[in-house]
Amino acid sequence: MSMTPKNSQGGEPLVARDATYYRAPDALRARIRSSIAAEARRQSRPKLWTWGGIAAGMAAASVISWNAALMQARVGGEGVLEREVASAHVRSLMAEGHLNDVVSTDQHTVKPWFQGKLDFAPVVNDLAPSGYPLTGGRLDYIDGRPVAALTYRSRLHVLNLFEWPAADAGDAKPELVTRNGYSIVRWKRGGLQYWLVSDASPADLLKFAHVFGT
Amino acid sequence: MSQAARFESMVMPHLDAAYNLARWLTRNDHDAEDVVQEAVMRAMRYFDAMKGSEARPWLLKIVRNTCFTWLEKNRPADVVPLDDSEEGAAQAAAATDFETPEVILLQSANRKLVNQALEDLPAGYREVIVMREIEDMSYKEIAAVAGIPIGTVMSRLARGRDLLKSSIENRMRRAS
Repeated sequence: MSMTPKNSQGGEPLVARDATYYRAPDALRARIRSSIAAEARRQSRPKLWTWGGIAAGMAAASVISWNAALMQARVGGEGVLEREVASAHVRSLMAEGHLNDVVSTDQHTVKPWFQGKLDFAPVVNDLAPSGYPLTGGRLDYIDGRPVAALTYRSRLHVLNLFEWPAADAGDAKPELVTRNGYSIVRWKRGGLQYWLVSDASPADLLKFAHVFGT
Repeated sequence: MSQAARFESMVMPHLDAAYNLARWLTRNDHDAEDVVQEAVMRAMRYFDAMKGSEARPWLLKIVRNTCFTWLEKNRPADVVPLDDSEEGAAQAAAATDFETPEVILLQSANRKLVNQALEDLPAGYREVIVMREIEDMSYKEIAAVAGIPIGTVMSRLARGRDLLKSSIENRMRRAS
């Protein structure tokens, strides 16, 4: 490490002339460079989602908590969940086999599959008569906890319906938000919160929410 | 250019300034290195929020805040509240009016004396003096980094220089 005094003559202030200017040691420089590279590798998963149409830097379970806190400050608590839900939707579509852990159009097959995997019983409705056939379900991880993800179809569009217990008992009517081109409809009923995500039209999603029972 | 490469090219040129500030605030090499490394990692995560800010004051602000968080935890005695009242400022300004410390000290002070006196200054004065005198920063930049008004920067500078002057004089008297 070098401790170089500021080298100037004449009437400049004393401190400027005589106090040590501590230069960053080379070892620190090298360490910081490798930390930056490591951090970039760690963040490379969110970059994949950018490619998938979702803004980078989304909160995910793997992103450390104060990063999430920063996001919370920027977009508010609900904004974080919307991002998580939208990115979970995108991830489910990114590769073959991500969408469903249980593949079935039968609600009586899908619902029992969650038994013992979650600490609550998700509501699984068959909406085929209304044009939204059930296609299956899987476990996902949102808001720091395991949640139920049900998949439905609306013509060619995939719908992800996430369900997990609400923080409070009150019901809430469906609310539509959009996030990076995806529509999200959320509502609360009977102690559960529901988050429906798709690239289908907002009207389609609101109709789904209505027939699902809100 | 990738995000990481962009970050590196913006931050690395200011690493000396970051280290110098951290070294003066923590007063030892090892802790300064730890604090700078932590601050840079923090800066990387906040990089999106940087927007159009200038890189140097932006980075130094994070370094400075990381330093004070570290000091509060590890050297609480170093973080004393400063008297930024108008009386304090006026007193400090008056003290520097009749004789600038530079004039008196130019001839005789040596580097060791200055370094020790500066190290012993309360952290709040030390940081503004380091930024102003060693880092050549403008009042405006210092105000942004330290999170205080420009008027407070000026009064702390005046008061800090005054304290530094008497501290150096005392040391010289004791030494002779």
